[in-house]
Amino acid sequence: MERLRSFVFDGWQRLMPRDRVSDQVVVVDIDERALAIHGQWPWPRDRVADLVSRIAKARPLVIGMDIFFPEPDRYSPAVLAARLEGKAPEIAARLKGMPSNDDMLGTALAEVPSVLGVAGLETRDARFAGPPRAPPVRFLDGAGDGLRAFPGHLRNVPEIDAGAAGHGLYSLDLEGGVARRLQLIARFDEAAVPTLAVEMIRVALQAPLTVARAPGGTIELRFGDYAVPAQSDGRAYVRYGHSDRSRFVSAAGILDGSFDVSQLEGKLVVIGFTGLGLVDLVTTPLGETVFGVENHAQTAEAILEGSFLRRIDLAPNIEAALLVAFGLGLFVLVPRSNAQRSAALLAAGIAVLLGAGALAFRYAGLLFDPVGPALGAMAVFGVMQAGSLAEAQRQRQQLREQAARMAGELDAAKRIQMGLLPDPRDIFAGERRVDVAAILEPARTVGGDFYDCFMLDDRRFFFVVADVSGKGLPASLFMASVKSILKSAALTVEGSVGAVLTRAQDEIRRENPESLFVTAMAAVLDLESGELEFANAGHEPVWSHRPRGRAERLDASGGPPLCVLDAYSYPSARRALARGEWLFALSDGATEAMNMARQFFGSERLRTSLDWLGDDPDAAAIVTRVRDDVLRFSAGAELADDLTLLAVRWNGPEGELSGR
Amino acid sequence: MALQVRSYANALVLGVAGRLDQDNCEAFRADLMVHVERSAHDGGAVILDLRGLEYISSAGLRCFLLASRQAKAQHGRIFMAALQPMVAEIFEISHFNMVFQVFPTVREALAAASSEAAAAFDLT
Repeated sequence: MERLRSFVFDGWQRLMPRDRVSDQVVVVDIDERALAIHGQWPWPRDRVADLVSRIAKARPLVIGMDIFFPEPDRYSPAVLAARLEGKAPEIAARLKGMPSNDDMLGTALAEVPSVLGVAGLETRDARFAGPPRAPPVRFLDGAGDGLRAFPGHLRNVPEIDAGAAGHGLYSLDLEGGVARRLQLIARFDEAAVPTLAVEMIRVALQAPLTVARAPGGTIELRFGDYAVPAQSDGRAYVRYGHSDRSRFVSAAGILDGSFDVSQLEGKLVVIGFTGLGLVDLVTTPLGETVFGVENHAQTAEAILEGSFLRRIDLAPNIEAALLVAFGLGLFVLVPRSNAQRSAALLAAGIAVLLGAGALAFRYAGLLFDPVGPALGAMAVFGVMQAGSLAEAQRQRQQLREQAARMAGELDAAKRIQMGLLPDPRDIFAGERRVDVAAILEPARTVGGDFYDCFMLDDRRFFFVVADVSGKGLPASLFMASVKSILKSAALTVEGSVGAVLTRAQDEIRRENPESLFVTAMAAVLDLESGELEFANAGHEPVWSHRPRGRAERLDASGGPPLCVLDAYSYPSARRALARGEWLFALSDGATEAMNMARQFFGSERLRTSLDWLGDDPDAAAIVTRVRDDVLRFSAGAELADDLTLLAVRWNGPEGELSGR
Repeated sequence: MALQVRSYANALVLGVAGRLDQDNCEAFRADLMVHVERSAHDGGAVILDLRGLEYISSAGLRCFLLASRQAKAQHGRIFMAALQPMVAEIFEISHFNMVFQVFPTVREALAAASSEAAAAFDLT
């Protein structure tokens, strides 16, 4: 979390780095060149004093030392004297009379407003027991209550320290090696020490330092006209610009006089080193590795330019509120839109958060963390998507189960439907006068076809092929009821087959809420006389075939399907069958079967099939042949409708069959 | 199956095309009923122009039947016109030509609906 936040804050710094508009701050740099000429570090402090004096001549506003002198100089004449005591007493005596190097540096520093460093320590250093010499700081309204306090510190040896006009803190808070936040001010017992850059400016202005409370739980360091924001613990985000070599002046040039020091007049000068042997490298949020001394320079520049960053104490609360608001928004909106729109919503929300954060950074120097709310919202989104996915899966599962149940029910319905159909071979096992066979090939679901055949009495044989409009469970239930009504009408009505259909229609209409209708071809054959009486209610006509004849469609007049017209009396037609003549009844599932080219099987193909059956086919051969022809024709295409075929061959009266 | 709608005086001509079977007849019926309820009342007529209809199953015939009952209840009429041979044969076999008045052309069906309708047709 913290890392991501840092990443975003650094990102803004990189996108919008501080432009360097002020050249008020100059770094005098003890660089590789200076070390090459004047020898390795540490230099004798009289040389440092020489450097300070040369700069002081230019009358800079202030000199800040990013160099620390906590121990006495080992090159001081007195130190050398102690080492020479026995070997060269004369030289030692002369040396003893000379001022110490530390005194010389202290004197040089006293010639100019100068600021020396104090470093915070987590443990007390015995050499520096008392509090550091620090400027008086006035705290208003307990603004300093939350400041970071160091138990111990390091400072310069007293001789040098005596020359300083002010004391500044060296303390960077490195986070993952990156200098994001500076300890702008910290406590040392009763004393409070501001960071080097603040102290340099304050000393230059000769202004007192006041710390006051600021809006949003922050504090402010006020000196002169400046007000620098910080968190209540004294830390502050530094707004960085790019590293810039033009800030630097080599100490070598000043020491050998090749650099015109007058250029330093009125500047804020920081003395530090960049010699590679003296590593003091830090990484800025801009991803640049710079020498520590440039950091102080950048901080001073930022203060002079009034370019600050603040992270108010309320920021985490605001971010939390944003998270809650965004999360709630998603919570409300996601279930009402589809996955793509929800994702777009999320992306837009995150974009707004990032944009608002960037604007706050750019124009107000406010640091807000949009990552927390964004991640939170993404988490909410993820959970909700997972939830709705689970819901969708549950629904799919339910549908599957429902479909399986339906299929089970349909299978059961189909079995019941098929179970309703009689098997002519069983019924007419001992009957020689007539040969009957039937086939019903159901289409993909439960269909509405059925056939029936039974004896009305000793000689009269009744058969019917019918088709109920529609498919599925309603049609199959309707079909079951129609079949029993037709049978009871056939058994009770005295009169023609047409009258049977008329009676059945009256019965069916009474229980037909769905306005379904039925086509039916019904016939009665007198097995002794061969007299056929048939009636057609909107159904495929019956075919007949005489021995040595051709197939013939019996298109005698009929009527519309049952239950289409309210009061219709179905007429009957008659035909005297020849011995060996056979009849073939079918449903439109045969003639309207389609092949892959969307052609219908049709009446002509049926006629051909029937004609090709040869002279004396039995009933089973007829229905099998036609079924095979239809299925071969529609090879590959699914049967759209039930296919029902029924064949009846009249062999002649019982008395004439003895010879067979 | 989209219905093509034309209007002539008090008659509405609905062009039906393609195949009308179990698979699409429910949607067709819903469309058809809307037109019938709106137009086939108080002497108004709906004419089904079946020039483009290739096939009709018993389920499709039932749609026509229900539409005709609705029209009758509203004192309106439904006519069939311009049947293809296949559909004509289905009408003949099922004797639905006893249920509906069937005309060879839309013009003749319009003339049966009203003279104004026929006149409107002739104008276009």
